[in-house]
Amino acid sequence: MRFLTTVAVASLAFGGAWLGVVEAKSVSGDRVLVLVPKVEAAKLYSQFLDSLTGRGFDISVRAATNTSVALQVDGVRTYDHAVVLSPESKKLGANLSVRDFVSFVDDGGNLVLTASSELSELGRKLAARFGVEYERRGTAVIDHVAHLRAINDTSDHTLVAAGPPKTAAPVLSKQFAHPQSNPVYFKGIAHKYEPSNPMLISVLTGSRTTYSAPIGSDANEGAISLSGKALGLVSVFQTRNNARVAFSGSAALFSDALLSQEGGANKQFTTDISQWVLQEKAVLRETAHRHYLASTGERPEHYRISNEIVYEIDLSVYHDDAWHPYNSKDVQFEAIMLDPYIRATLNSTESTDPKTTATYHGDIKLPDRYGTFTFRVNYKRTGYSNVDVKDTVGIWPLRHDEYPRFLSAAYPYYISSLVMAVGFLALCAAWMWSAEPKTKRTTKQKSN
Amino acid sequence: MSTTTADIFSRLARDYADETPLRLKVIDTYMVFCVAVGLAQFAYCLLVGTFPYNAFLAGFGSAVACFVFAANLRIKTNAKNASQFTGTAESAFAEFVFCHITLHFIVANFLG
Repeated sequence: MRFLTTVAVASLAFGGAWLGVVEAKSVSGDRVLVLVPKVEAAKLYSQFLDSLTGRGFDISVRAATNTSVALQVDGVRTYDHAVVLSPESKKLGANLSVRDFVSFVDDGGNLVLTASSELSELGRKLAARFGVEYERRGTAVIDHVAHLRAINDTSDHTLVAAGPPKTAAPVLSKQFAHPQSNPVYFKGIAHKYEPSNPMLISVLTGSRTTYSAPIGSDANEGAISLSGKALGLVSVFQTRNNARVAFSGSAALFSDALLSQEGGANKQFTTDISQWVLQEKAVLRETAHRHYLASTGERPEHYRISNEIVYEIDLSVYHDDAWHPYNSKDVQFEAIMLDPYIRATLNSTESTDPKTTATYHGDIKLPDRYGTFTFRVNYKRTGYSNVDVKDTVGIWPLRHDEYPRFLSAAYPYYISSLVMAVGFLALCAAWMWSAEPKTKRTTKQKSN
Repeated sequence: MSTTTADIFSRLARDYADETPLRLKVIDTYMVFCVAVGLAQFAYCLLVGTFPYNAFLAGFGSAVACFVFAANLRIKTNAKNASQFTGTAESAFAEFVFCHITLHFIVANFLG
């Protein structure tokens, strides 16, 4: 009996520990589909896939030719994330189309899409849907200055060494912000990206000596279609529903060969990218928000014009396995009726739960205008998930008996109207008790 | 013809004192008083702004209306205008009182 209880306790403890390890770090789920050309090809990416497993993801490695693979069944996602490491396959899974992938993303699924010089039409069309335009088939990224100098001097100039631009800050870890950080090795195809697109963030670009040209061509000017910083190597995209998609022009970037390359930062880079895309970092959320009258602390059914109110919102950011307070100085509140009548920056204040949330506070004076207003915090920042909190609030005019009375500024008017009334009484008195001249005057009148 | 400005004014004052009946003098005093109160309110409004605008309108309007009523009473009760009016001085005074009572009701309502 005693032996049995020991076993039970031990198994419970073990089970708890086991659960602790497997618990997903991602906010949006732990089911990952990995598509590779053949199941055996997964060995090429074992380090990357092992790091995903180590982070608590439940990985399903499937061959691209496996026709039973579907992203959604009856409109319900079968996976939370999909990693496509099979850029050359013309067909993926159960003949997955561009629309299937887009619908997966619309439903909140996250994607990592890789490419190569022989990128299939499917991958090309899918990327175009997100504003990422891959170069023509058969081209490669070449750099005669910044590339991996291999042993035996057989250096491959298509294996370029690249660095992330400054815009990639929230996506990548801090070490990449350092100008002398190790380069990321990349072998594949380039893409054009639109820098002004607020949803697309370029996280790895070419350097000044990088260009894209057909493989084997001598790089005369006509053959170069894209070069320098405009040449995108890896870009990430965040949709309006906070789903995330990564586009890497190189599948090799995730391979064991480059991850274990000395002097390269591929390991950290792929970890950062996958953490960002699989919703393990830079995930922002609003845990609570409230607004109430500053005077009473109560939230009325509707406010009155020019009321002084308090608006508060709690924000958390997810990284390193837990929710942390999100600290920023640019959280803004808006009171909108067609146009914003008020746009005020909220200040950080003492939080009720300082370990996980940061509270932002604003003392707002409502406009001297009645109508149906929307109180909104629309917080969209590069690399962070979008927070858009809206409340529809009625602002009513004062009732006839709610206007302020006996204002000190109006006292002179009160007094003077009173004085006028007294003056009237005085005149009446003077008129009535000044009767004698009347006779005088009437006699005078008659004599005239 | 050698009258100076001072002579003109002193004569004007003397004639006014001698020839104007006492009741008209009382009304004149009241009208000066109305103008003074009205001007004081207007100056105050210029100084501090129009904020309780309804109170300003009530106070200022009361002074103006009192002035107008007094002017009407003066015209009607002036013996020189007797040929143009049929009513007696008493009926003119009664009208004056009625208008005033109505006015002060309105003013009190409008003061806010």
